[in-house]
Order: sequence, then C-alpha cells, then structure tokens
Amino acid sequence: MTSEEVVQKVTEALGDKVDRGEVNLGDAVLFLGPDNLLEVATHLKNDPALAFDYLSHISGVDYLDEDREPRFEAVYEFHSMDHNHSIRLRVGLEEENPTVPTVTGLWQSAVYPERELYDMFGFTITGLDNSKRLIMPEGWEGYPLRKDYPLTTEDIAFSHNRDYKRELVKSKPPTR
Amino acid sequence: MTVTEQGLLERDKDTMTLNMGPSHPSTHGVFRIILEMDGEMVKSAEPEIGYLHTGIEKTSENKRYQHVIPMTDRLDYLNPPGNNMAFCLATEKLLEVRVPERAEYLRVIMCELSRLGSHLVWLATHALDIGAMTVFLYCWREREMILDLNEEVAGVRMMTSYIRIGGVMRDASASWLRKVRQFIDYLPAKIDEYERLLTKNPIWLDRTQGVGVMTREEAINWSLSGPALRASGVDFDFRKKRPYSGYENFRFEVPTGKNGDVYDRYLVRVEEMRQSREIISQALDAIPAGPWKIEDSKISLPPRDTLHSSMEALIHHFKLVSEGVHVPRGETYIPIEGPRGEIGFYIVSDGGNVPVRVKLRAPSFMAIPGMCKMMEDCYIADVVAVIGSIDIVMGEVDR
Repeated sequence: MTSEEVVQKVTEALGDKVDRGEVNLGDAVLFLGPDNLLEVATHLKNDPALAFDYLSHISGVDYLDEDREPRFEAVYEFHSMDHNHSIRLRVGLEEENPTVPTVTGLWQSAVYPERELYDMFGFTITGLDNSKRLIMPEGWEGYPLRKDYPLTTEDIAFSHNRDYKRELVKSKPPTR
Repeated sequence: MTVTEQGLLERDKDTMTLNMGPSHPSTHGVFRIILEMDGEMVKSAEPEIGYLHTGIEKTSENKRYQHVIPMTDRLDYLNPPGNNMAFCLATEKLLEVRVPERAEYLRVIMCELSRLGSHLVWLATHALDIGAMTVFLYCWREREMILDLNEEVAGVRMMTSYIRIGGVMRDASASWLRKVRQFIDYLPAKIDEYERLLTKNPIWLDRTQGVGVMTREEAINWSLSGPALRASGVDFDFRKKRPYSGYENFRFEVPTGKNGDVYDRYLVRVEEMRQSREIISQALDAIPAGPWKIEDSKISLPPRDTLHSSMEALIHHFKLVSEGVHVPRGETYIPIEGPRGEIGFYIVSDGGNVPVRVKLRAPSFMAIPGMCKMMEDCYIADVVAVIGSIDIVMGEVDR
C-alpha cells in the first residue's frame, strides 16, 4: 500500500482514536495521545491488511524551544515485512509526568528503546518491569536528552550568584 | 553460598552467576553480559550497555548539519560511509533535493566497499572467536586494501566523511576507479579461499549449526535486521524493497537462510560479499561523467576556482562555512541497508541550521535483547559464537 492508502485505511478504521493522519514527505504519520496508543498499536499489528509486524525504532523528542503543546513526543516507526510499507506514530506527551504504555507485549524488541526513553527523557513507561537506567550509570541525575539539560556544565561547589546554575542551563551553545 | 555444620559449602540456588565483560575480546567492544549458568548451560543472559556512551545524539543537537557528519562516522566505525549516507539522505529528504547521478554512483561504490570491509572484519573476528586463526589474518589482508582505497579517495583510512550533504566530498579520479576495479577482480578468489577454510570444515559446522536459532517470527518480533534477519528466512533488504541512491539500477540477489542459526548468518554474509562485489562492478561499468554534487550553492560549496572570480560564489562560500545549511522545518526518517541492517536517522528540524533532534536507529542496539534471548539454553562456549554472528558494534549501541 502507498502511504496515502495506509493513512486513509487506519484513520477510517480507528476513527477518533487517532487525532489526525497525514502524509509527510512520503511517509505515513499518525498523531495520537498516549491513552490510545495500545489500542492503535494492536490494530496496526493485527489487521492482516496492515500487518505492521516490525518495530524499527522508538525515539523521544523534546520540543521545549518550539514553545508548543505538548512539550514531549514519543515517535514510533513500524514496518511491515510482508507488505513493505511503514508508518510513524507521534504520541504527544505532557510536560508534567510524561507517561506512555509499553508496547513490549506486541513487539518484544521495544524493551530497549523504551528503557532508553526513560533513561534519556524521563518518560514513565507503564507496564515495563525494568525501568532502570540503560545507558547512563545507575544513580545519574537528570535526563540528558531533554533540552533543559545542559550540554557541558559541572556542579558548582559554591557561588555568590544564586542564579548562576540556572543561567548556565538557559545559555545557548556557542555554535548557534 | 553458605557453610553447613559439616564445613561443606552448600549452594543457595542451583545456578551460578557468571560475569562476562565489559572487557572481553569476543564482545567486540565494551559490553557486559551477566550469565546465569546451570552447569555448562546458559539459563538467562542479562546484557548491560553504556560503557561507550559518548552522547553523540546530544552533541548533534548543538552542531550544524555538516558538522554532524564526522560524528556519524564514529557511530558504526566499521561502516562510516553508510552512516554518512543515512544522515545525508535524511537531510536531503528534508531539503527535497536529489544529488546528481555521479554522486549517487560514488556513494554506492563507497557504501558497498565499506560493506565488504565490515563483513571482512566480522568474518575475521567471528572466526577467531570460534578458533580459526588463519581466516582472521587473511581477512585483515583484504580489508587493508579497502582502507587504502578509502585513503586515496577521502584522505582518511577509516573515518572517511566522504559522503556530504548534496553529494560527495570530492570527485573520484579515473585511476582510483581503476584501482577499485583491480580490487574487486582480485576479491572473488579470496572469498572462495575463506569458504574453503570454513564452509565445509567439520569443526566450523559443529560450532555453528543449530546454535543461536531464531525462527522467522522471532527474528521479526525481536527486530533483528540485515543479515541476521535474512538468515531466518525473511527476504527484506531496503536496497531492493525501497531503493535509495539509485540501487534500483543494479542487478543483485538478496541471499536468505532457512534455519536462522549462526551458520546461516555466516552463509548469508559471505554471499552478501559476492553480491556487493557485483554491485560495485556494475557501478564501475555504468558510472556517468558529470557533476558530483548539486549545484545549489545554498547547500553545497561552490567550486573552488569560482571563488576568485565570482562575488556571489564567495558570499555563498562564506555563508555556508560560517552559518551552514538551513534545513526546512519538519521531521523525517529514511532507512537504508547497512552491513548490520537497517540504519536510519530520525531528524527533527525547526528550520534553522542546527537540528533539533538527531536519533540514530542502530541495528546493533535493537538486536541486543534478541541476541541475549538466543543465548538461553545454549552452551557457554556458544555464547561467543552467538555474539559474533549478530556482529554488534558498540559504537552505535551506546552512541
């Protein structure tokens, strides 16, 4: 199926579970909320005409600088091995307590990318039994791929300037 | 363990926990597995990664697009042109440009050479892990020739950064193309030589057949990709299924396996080397003359000699070097077929010269949970065979 047909078929079948679907630069994209993710994902995998049996990757995005709602997004990319088509799910997540259900029940390989979402973005993955740090060491503070996590700073032992740390966080990197 | 009244050691449980790595030669990097052993049998394997984490994704969010390319080399360090290609294709998709035909051919030649090089390193180390020392030395000999070719065309032996946004770094000379031809004419006899050493070798068969088996459904569910997926009988190759960079112009076969064991992965990769050679051969025959990067001076640097005569070229040069490419707002992902499987960059742009998010889809990273699944209920000696057969590169796992 072409991307247009995929989007049309999915939006027709799922109706209000999906906020909207579009074709962006040739790729099928669905926008939805975290509450509907499991239902949509189950349909995508089990409908024989769609058969998205392969999880390509899960990626987190932090849109802090874009000034838009919601701030976070979890992006899922699926392929179908038999039909050779793909789809991307963009799940918007609120800034306060971003939570997304696990899809490991459908695609077992999701365990690593989901743990990475927790590790790098601090998303809570409900249903995942193993949400400890994956890449960063145990006991690490903060979530490195969030936009408000500084690129290079060290803890300052003492400063007369109370706002010093906060300024560092806000400062743009020099290459901008 | 506890000491009983008789002074004998008594175990609390029937299994033993064994630590493998992080500095173990057959993990091909810094990778740790905690094995739960019942005698010689592995009951469960718990991977631990992150020892090589360098924050490349975070750094990329603070660099201009052209500055990200050298960092992509260091992700999967056995396949730098493939990573460059994935990043450049995604950026070009956002820019909505297509590079000239000669650039596409040069990209294909570089990517296939690096696939050959990567598979040679894989075969060398995989065979060494299992105990075949000779193959190791032979493969390294041929890989050296690929590094020499890299050096001549890109100036660097490993981290080539040859593929750039809008084309390639510089044109390849006719003499370089002749040397590539010489190399690929020399290679088939050598691949036959490796096969003579291994394919029907009884020790090799004993160590690899029926080890680390993954069925077709399991392989898909665990997101194995590339040769590991095809060895389980899935005929899926992005070069065939979704041709990019002119792969539709080449005739080649996609080898698949039946049993999904370590031996089939070996067979698939060896056959892939022959097919890569075939693609390079066709590319050398058909490579057209013409420009090797797009002429839009807002994306790729204007020709050097025009800087002395054209004010406009000078301005474009200055703007590109000091400010970089401005990529239209949007998000995109484009998968390509690397030596280890599906590589792709998910890039989010806000319309500026610095990406908002650069996410690498790394085949090794996605394969690790499945790889540890394979180790269950196999002998401890087979653990290194399984790791070798998946061909993980820790640079792209930890990023």
